[in-house]
Amino acid sequence: MESLTTNTDVRLTVTRCFRTLKSSTDSSDIITALRTLHSYLDEGPDSTATSAERAEFRRAHYSSALQLLVSNIQADWLHQLTAAQRAELWDGLFLAGPPEQALLVLMDAIGELRWVVLGKFLQRGRLAELLWSYCLEAAPSDSPQLRETLLGRISALPDITANKLQLNNRALFRPQQYYPLLATEMLTALEHTCQALRAGTDCNLTFVAQTLGKVCIQGHGGLVLAVMAPRLSACTRSDMVWQRVCWKLLENVPQRWMESVLTGLVQAVSGPDALGRIIGNLVLTNKKAQFVITHKLLLLQYKYETRVLRIILGYLAADRDRRPLLIQVLRSVSQAWANSSAVKHTPLEQQLYVSKALLLSVSLLKDSEIQELRSELLQCMLGGMQTHLDSNVVRIRHMGMVIGEYLSSRMDINGTKLKFEYDQDEETRELLSLLAPGACDEPEAEPTAETAESAQNASQTTSGAQALKTDPDSDLDSDDELTPYDMSGDQEISKASPPRYLRDCLEILISSEDPVRVELSLKAAESLVRKNSFAAREISVQMSKVLLHMDDKYNINGFLYLRQATMVALTVTDCIPVAHYLTTEFYSLNYSLRQRLDILEVLALAAQELSKPVTEKKAASISSATTAESTPYPGDNPVHWQQVVEKRIQSKTKRLTKKVNQPVTKATPNRYAPVNICLIHDTFLLAAQMGCALLDFVWAVRYHADQMVRRGVLFAVCSVFLSMPSQNLLVDISDQLFETRSWLADVAEGDPDADCRSLAVQSLVLLDKSLKKQLQDPQAPTVET
Amino acid sequence: MSRPSPSPIYTLRGAGGPLNTLHFSCQGEGTPLLFSGSGKGAIHIWNLNSRRAEKIIEAHSGNSVIWVSTLQSADALISQGRDMQVCWWDVSEGRSELVESVRTGSVGYCQCSLVEMSPANYLLAYAGEQTEEIKIIELPSKTAVCTLVPEEKLGMVMCLKLWQPDSGSGPLLLAGYENGSVLLWDVTQRSKLSQVKAHPEPVMCLTFDTTSLRGVSGSSEKTLSSWRLDGQSNLQLQDCVTLVNPGVSQLCIRMDRKLLASAGWDHRIRVFGWKKLRPLAVLQYHTDMVLSVAFSDHRDPRQRVLAAGSKDQRISLWSVYNEGTDTG
Repeated sequence: MESLTTNTDVRLTVTRCFRTLKSSTDSSDIITALRTLHSYLDEGPDSTATSAERAEFRRAHYSSALQLLVSNIQADWLHQLTAAQRAELWDGLFLAGPPEQALLVLMDAIGELRWVVLGKFLQRGRLAELLWSYCLEAAPSDSPQLRETLLGRISALPDITANKLQLNNRALFRPQQYYPLLATEMLTALEHTCQALRAGTDCNLTFVAQTLGKVCIQGHGGLVLAVMAPRLSACTRSDMVWQRVCWKLLENVPQRWMESVLTGLVQAVSGPDALGRIIGNLVLTNKKAQFVITHKLLLLQYKYETRVLRIILGYLAADRDRRPLLIQVLRSVSQAWANSSAVKHTPLEQQLYVSKALLLSVSLLKDSEIQELRSELLQCMLGGMQTHLDSNVVRIRHMGMVIGEYLSSRMDINGTKLKFEYDQDEETRELLSLLAPGACDEPEAEPTAETAESAQNASQTTSGAQALKTDPDSDLDSDDELTPYDMSGDQEISKASPPRYLRDCLEILISSEDPVRVELSLKAAESLVRKNSFAAREISVQMSKVLLHMDDKYNINGFLYLRQATMVALTVTDCIPVAHYLTTEFYSLNYSLRQRLDILEVLALAAQELSKPVTEKKAASISSATTAESTPYPGDNPVHWQQVVEKRIQSKTKRLTKKVNQPVTKATPNRYAPVNICLIHDTFLLAAQMGCALLDFVWAVRYHADQMVRRGVLFAVCSVFLSMPSQNLLVDISDQLFETRSWLADVAEGDPDADCRSLAVQSLVLLDKSLKKQLQDPQAPTVET
Repeated sequence: MSRPSPSPIYTLRGAGGPLNTLHFSCQGEGTPLLFSGSGKGAIHIWNLNSRRAEKIIEAHSGNSVIWVSTLQSADALISQGRDMQVCWWDVSEGRSELVESVRTGSVGYCQCSLVEMSPANYLLAYAGEQTEEIKIIELPSKTAVCTLVPEEKLGMVMCLKLWQPDSGSGPLLLAGYENGSVLLWDVTQRSKLSQVKAHPEPVMCLTFDTTSLRGVSGSSEKTLSSWRLDGQSNLQLQDCVTLVNPGVSQLCIRMDRKLLASAGWDHRIRVFGWKKLRPLAVLQYHTDMVLSVAFSDHRDPRQRVLAAGSKDQRISLWSVYNEGTDTG
């Protein structure tokens, strides 16, 4: 009965105040009304209202009071208040009452309202107050809808403010600042919880856990956990209450948000121990967590750093209860690793990830556990090794070798170990480095102790450095001040000398079995041909034949280039017979595609060279001759050859129009004319035929299981589209075009190999470009002659 | 991108034979000179200002000159030839007169080593007639000081370095032998102080830094071996440097102890930082074995040049790591 009268009293007073605020223009009245409202929120000892009155006001009238204030924001009286009064009476009302109501009103009104109040609300730690108030309630007193709304507002505050304030948005409301703030507020609430638990009060972490989950699922887990994880890790180090609070918090995260919280957490913690302290044995109690940790993060996703793998597996290995899970993980990982279909069809990056997981989990096992798993591991090793070694990709083979070596060394098969010979590269080194223990230990302890320690360390190292400096033997004036010159020219000198005559050179190329001599001859060949064109003419065709049929038997460095350069030199020196020979051979039987392409390349390069003016040509041949010599004498021809040539050109150029001050373009004869006739075939027709043939050929293997083959196919398609005239493209392969397009789109989207995907995209672009060009302007000549 | 390998600043041609030895004399007031000894018995005195041979001394009756050096600035020249003679020449004021000669009796290629004990008093060490024998005489009196013969078989003496330590004790002698050993001799005690096996092949050359007491030796294989003398006069092997091609004819340390140069059989001169033997440059110019290298003894460090003599009958001069003019 008494409470009823209290409620009526409060309602009457509040209604009177509201009326004043709505209608009055007298500022003293307004101030009195605001003060009265304030008195219900004031909890100090000199408060005029009773606690029952205060509770009633908070329950029934606070929100409407705030809404009234917001809706009267344009009223005159607000502008008559001084800044201090406004801060005290107006802002104060928002900051003193129940935070959830204030937050909801503020966020609804953020568009009209000054953002200052919301800023103050956040900065004064009202969020922590809000979260903490929810921790204290044993059972929710409000409706689920209200909670849902509140949760949404808290977790998406940056989005809401950005939408409403648009360009006027404040830095404080941006995700980079807001989420770390929210994280510290959650930590404060947890801190309060710990204190309350010690004092014997029960708390409820559901709301905080929901907030954490919602923030993580919305993609802000990184920002929030970057703040929370180190702190939680430090607090749980020695404090059991904190540990219990953390475990409870994680248990209370709703199932649908569990995954994003866990993935965020494993990336944010510093090591397996920290993860163990924070989540406890969650993997054993929570099915979802178990699936995420033991399956999803290891076998389905592969984007995480090696550190994360180390943390997950280390976490599983650290506790006796969790150890069976590690063995279960090892079983599934080794099956995935050995699966031949996975080796063929999953991306390389994922295979590397699985390999790392396998290495790490085996390295965490004890010898006795390995003995138990022996048969399974052996099966994995034998089957997996075979599929890996059968692969065409070097990286996959290397993975197989590294893992095979390690597994065999751990399993102790009658004392025998596998040992492969492979070149160490970055990847194998990384895999091997995983086996080195303790690369991921936590950098320690309480932050305060840590800084003190590091400061001490720093002073020690500096004193150490000083001690070093006083060492008389130290290299104060070491060699480092002298920067080395380029020493790449310091190569081994071979015993044999290069041939001096072209006929010797040819003889060696035809019959010699000595790799060194063949290499030297090939290197000397071009300059010999160019130096002695008379001798070269006598054997030009014969030498071209030899070179065209030559194989890179001895793996000579730059073989293709050297051979091509010599053939070009021969064609240039004795163009008509050689060009005739090459063009005839191009159409004859029993040549490989490579050889035919060589012929075309040589002809093209030779044509380019011949079409250059004679004088320039001379300069080029001089330069190539000098560079070909093993040790030129720079002292012997002090004037650079280019200057000589320049002078020669100057002296021979007849300046007909002396007055006009512009460079005279001289018509110099080129040597292309006589061969022109030999080289002109209707090349584009040929190209179109070849393109069609190539497309037909690769069609059958376009879905080949081996990625190298697929890459080759795509490369061929790419080059066909690149070189075929667009007209022919439409005419000759129109029936295949549609199918090719859909196949390419398919590959571009779904091929496991990244190179294949990009090649497919490139082919598509080329094809589209070419088609568009043709469709827009079908009459345009496709080849300029 | 490192700087391209430098080219010689100039070359001296016309020696008419392989250049076995080089010696600078640039300290005095007069013209800076370079002495060279050729395989055809000619000693050239090159004027480094005009870059021409100022004088040519036909010595050792056409036999190969394997070593030249000067006494007291550039007035007295001393040379060693394959005719088993060490000759002393007066070259002051344009003369070229034979003053003295000493018969060594050695058929090998071992170069002599000379050290000044007091003004106008020198010690000369040379390989003797017997296989392992080293003789030391006083100059100009030509009195024999001692003969040093090791107890075990080490093969021929290949190279020598005689010096007077700062500690004030008697002169010390480093000798490299055919079996790859380097021995340290105390000349006054006539006793062996220490021995190390620096190379599996004959020691072709050695040089020693008397300040830091570190030395380095080269051989017919691919490594330069460095060693140091500890407080107890023991030789201790230190790190090795591996070269790209085998064979080193001569080694030389620059006066400021910053650079070491090697004359390679692979036609190349290599420059190393002396402290850590870090490779700094490979100088390519010659077309045949480089037989000798020398750093000039200019008073001004910026003028100090590197000279190399080769079997291709040329001398190349290089300017490397000279402060201020360090452009190669």
